[in-house]
This record gives sequence, C-alpha cells and structure tokens, in this order.
Amino acid sequence: MALPKRIIKETERLMAEPVKGISAVPHEDNLRYFDVTIEGPEQSPYEGGVFKLELFLPDDYPMTPPKIRFLTKIYHPNIDRLGRICLDVLKGNWSPALQIRTILLSIQALLGAPNPDDPLANDVAQKWKEDQNAAIETARQWTREHAKP
Amino acid sequence: MDPSANPPQPQSEAPRPQRPGHRDMMFCHECNDEWYRDEHGLTCPECGSDFTEIIEEGNDPRDSHMMDHDHESDNGSLPGFDGPPPLLPFFQPNPMRGADDPAEEDISSLQFRQVAPGRFTVTGTVYRDVSPMGRPAPAPPTENAGSQAPRALGGLTNFLTNIIGGALRGPQQQQQPQQQQPPGFQWNTEHADGQNNPGNDGNQQAHGGPESRPPGLPPGVHRFTYTAGARLLPRDPNNPGPRGEPVDELNNVIVGLMAALGEPPGPHHHDHFHSAGPVPINPLVHLFAQMLPGNGQFGDAVYSQEALDRIITQLMEQNTSSNAPGPAPQSEIDKLPRKAVSLEMLGAEGRAECSICMDEVNIGEEVTELPCHHWFHHACIAAWLGEHDTCPHCRKGITKQPENATNQGQAGGSSGPTAGSSSQGQMPGAFAGGEGTSDNPYVL
Repeated sequence: MALPKRIIKETERLMAEPVKGISAVPHEDNLRYFDVTIEGPEQSPYEGGVFKLELFLPDDYPMTPPKIRFLTKIYHPNIDRLGRICLDVLKGNWSPALQIRTILLSIQALLGAPNPDDPLANDVAQKWKEDQNAAIETARQWTREHAKP
Repeated sequence: MDPSANPPQPQSEAPRPQRPGHRDMMFCHECNDEWYRDEHGLTCPECGSDFTEIIEEGNDPRDSHMMDHDHESDNGSLPGFDGPPPLLPFFQPNPMRGADDPAEEDISSLQFRQVAPGRFTVTGTVYRDVSPMGRPAPAPPTENAGSQAPRALGGLTNFLTNIIGGALRGPQQQQQPQQQQPPGFQWNTEHADGQNNPGNDGNQQAHGGPESRPPGLPPGVHRFTYTAGARLLPRDPNNPGPRGEPVDELNNVIVGLMAALGEPPGPHHHDHFHSAGPVPINPLVHLFAQMLPGNGQFGDAVYSQEALDRIITQLMEQNTSSNAPGPAPQSEIDKLPRKAVSLEMLGAEGRAECSICMDEVNIGEEVTELPCHHWFHHACIAAWLGEHDTCPHCRKGITKQPENATNQGQAGGSSGPTAGSSSQGQMPGAFAGGEGTSDNPYVL
C-alpha cells in the first residue's frame, strides 16, 4: 500500500518545523511507524524527563486515529502500566483534521494536566485523588528513575 | 479399605491399643506423610526424612498436628493425650478401622452428614503427593474435619459421587481390592450406615460408635475410591491456617475433578481410575477438559495477566470510536452543497488545503461545504462522514438535528468521557452511556 500523501506531508512538516519538546522520527523501513519523544512539561512532575513513545499510523489513517503508546514507564492516572493512553482524541474524539503533531501536543498537555477522574490506571488515579502530593512525588521519582534524558 | 478384608469384628474393641494383624503406620514429621512400615520402612518415602515416628494408638503423632489447631478454641491448650479420649470426635474410632486399608489412614478430612435417622453420608478427602501445578507435595492436613471448606466441598463431592457412582455401577466397586491402588491422591467417598460424626459441630453427640457399625458394607451402601491428580486444600502443618480453609486454585480443583472423572488431565496425571470396567464417556469430562489451563482460555475466561492485557487492548482498539458519533446517512452526504473555492475562502495567507488529505486547494477547485461552513474535498469528507457524522473541525453533524442525530449508530458501550483537555463539548453522543436514550430520535 502506497504511503498516502498526507503521511508524507505530515512527516516532512514534523521534520521541517519541529515542535518544542517533541520529536517524531519515522522508521526507515516502515514510514508509518514513528519513534516519538516528549519532554515532560515544565511545572509538572514530569519536568526534566524525556519520555519515549511509539506511534503507528494505521492503514485507514486519517480516518482512524494513530496508535500511540508510552514506552517509558510513567506514573500518570491516564496512562496505564502498559503505556496505553486514555485520551479522548485518540479514541472517539478523533478527527481527520487532527495530525500527529496535534496529537503529540495533546499528550504533552495531558502530562501537564492529569485527569484522575477519568483514569486508565485506577490505582494511580486513586492515589492521585487521595493524596495528590504523594502521587506527584511518586511521579517525580518515576520521572527521575525512568525518563532520564 | 478393602471390604473383603473386613470381616465382622468385635465391635467393642475400638480403642484397643493393638490388635492382631496390626501393621505399623509411620508418620513423617517433615511432610506429614503416612505409610506402612512394612512397605516403605522407617524413612519417609515422600521426603526422605528420618524424622518419622511409628503411629500407635496411644501415641499418635498426628494428634498434635491435627488437634492443636481446632482444639485450641476449646481449651486453649495443646492436647496432651494419654490415650484416645473417647469423647473427642476425632478420636472416635473409625468404624472402618478394622479394615486393613491404606487409604483408610489417609482419610484426613472426613465429611459426615446425616442423611436420615441413623444414616450418615461419609465423605473423605485426602491430600497426597500429587501436585498438578508441579509444586512439591502438599503436606497432609492438620485440621480436623470440622473446617468449613471440606463441608462445602462435600456437596460437590456428593454430586460427583452420584455421577461417578452411576458410571461405576456402584456396589461392584466394593469388591475392588484397595491394596492395589497406587499411592496418590485419594478421594474416598463412602456411604455407610451409622457412621459417627466427628466433623459436624452440630452432631458431635452422634458418635455412633462401633455398635452401629455395619459388619461390612450393607446392601444398598456403595463405596468406591477414585484417585485424582490434585490436592484440594493447601495445608501447612507448621503454620495452620484459619478454620475456613482457602479453597485451592480452580485449576487444581479442575484437574482433580478431571482425574476423578477418569480423564487424564495432562502430564501431571499419574493415577488411574481403578475401575473394573471401562468408564462410560462422561460429558462432564469434555466440559472440564475445556477448562484446563493447558488449553488456555475457556470461553471468555483468562488465566493470566498477559491474556487479560491482550484482551483489554483488543477491546480498547475495537472500541476506539465506540463513543464517537455514528455515520451520516449517505443521502445527506450526497446532498451537501458543492462550491468552487473562491479567493475569500483561502484566508489571509491566500492558500488553503483540505485538512483531511492535506492537499492544497486552488481557486476554482470544487469542494464540499458542510452546514457549519467548513469545507473539504468531497471524497475526503464523504469518507469521513460515512463513518462519523461530525465536522472534522467543529464536530457539528450534518444531519438536521445535530444534537441528537449523532447518537445514532454504535453509541452504546461507551465507558464515558475520556481524559484530555481537547474535548470541545461539541460531540453529541460522545458521552452517551448507551443507545436508546429518550431524546434520541434515531433519525436516519
């Protein structure tokens, strides 16, 4: 299956105009598969960390959202231990007007604004609600341990 | 327990310290195994330990193991029995004790149930050396038969008894020489008259006793022994558990049931169903066979975290758009107005692109405009609307009732709102708990 022009364009623009704190590099042998890094947002417990993700554009992209997963361990109420992300625009709120770039920005924003009321990692979310300071400290610690630049 | 070796004996000799033909029973303090001295000698055949002891009527090392747990609730002290206290249920002589039966000594959890006046159902469960999960052999039980779990299992045991009893044609099984049975998990089920009732708290006065013991197994009473490759109750002689014993893992139970039903459950099975005739094919065998862990999943059941993760991921991907609006009707898509791109549509930069294919559009090119005035290549937006009736930019639907119409289709099964700050609240149906809401007209 030929690579749709949109994917080529998106890739070119990601390279030409990179987003601050975000990188997405396609694999040479599979241009639908991207190695992604996202820097933890400032003022968040993930600050200073660099998180690796994998991103895959399915065949019917952009009619379906990209598949994205954290590879770096992260303590976040909306990201489970397998790295799966609970983010509306990756699911039902996907729109073909969204792009890799915007999705990655959304994920970065999610790091800055955890939403324990809609958890994917239930235990983390519960901790986040019960003792937010402790949860944030754990997130900091995990960032130091696992998300080294 | 061999009925053929069970001639009528004087009934009053139950507490006798020795009797003719007595065989020394050995007890291993390490693993609690028991065996006949004349068969395996003084060293434990199970664990090879030398810390063994000859079991005597007045000095049964098992007593302390068995009694210290349950007895402490009575007087808070460990038992120091000089002889068999006749009133303690566990020391009531088993009416079958005269029978020279290796399995007899292995019955470590007896379930007595009064089924009629003067009639009791006796169910014995024995824990031996087989470990279907490849674990070391569980120690024999240290609790007496009064614990809750065996009683609960007794119902199942009786249930199985009925199934298998039919398969074995019942009483013929009495003639089976029990000495030939291989060591291993013994699951004895008996029906006999006038058994005493050591395990039932409410019937401890019904000691029965030798006088009510039948000389053999009376007519109409059947007894059989089948072997299984599993333990049912985990035991630890050094660390007795609570009264309500935990029921063993389902897998082990199933393996045990499988063996009981005569089907080799797998590589761990090493006992055979010592029935005289072939066992009729039991439909339960096939049912249980499917539940074996070796076969992986049983229906929707999963046995490992990995399998669960896999399924959840699968579900998440399947439901990727479960809370997204359903498709717009093709007729509505076809009706969308088309127009040529004009200069003012290009915006300040003087150029624009279709945000779906990201191709640049030029003045004069035909595009399709939605009611919200966002426009796209017709093929691009038609492909999207055919799946979800939302504008890619503002999420408004193209149908006449945009608030409700987007609930149509597969709105059900949504797990609710999702995280993230990008939700624009413009997605009718995105938070729908299911289809068929009262305000959903199902416009098609």
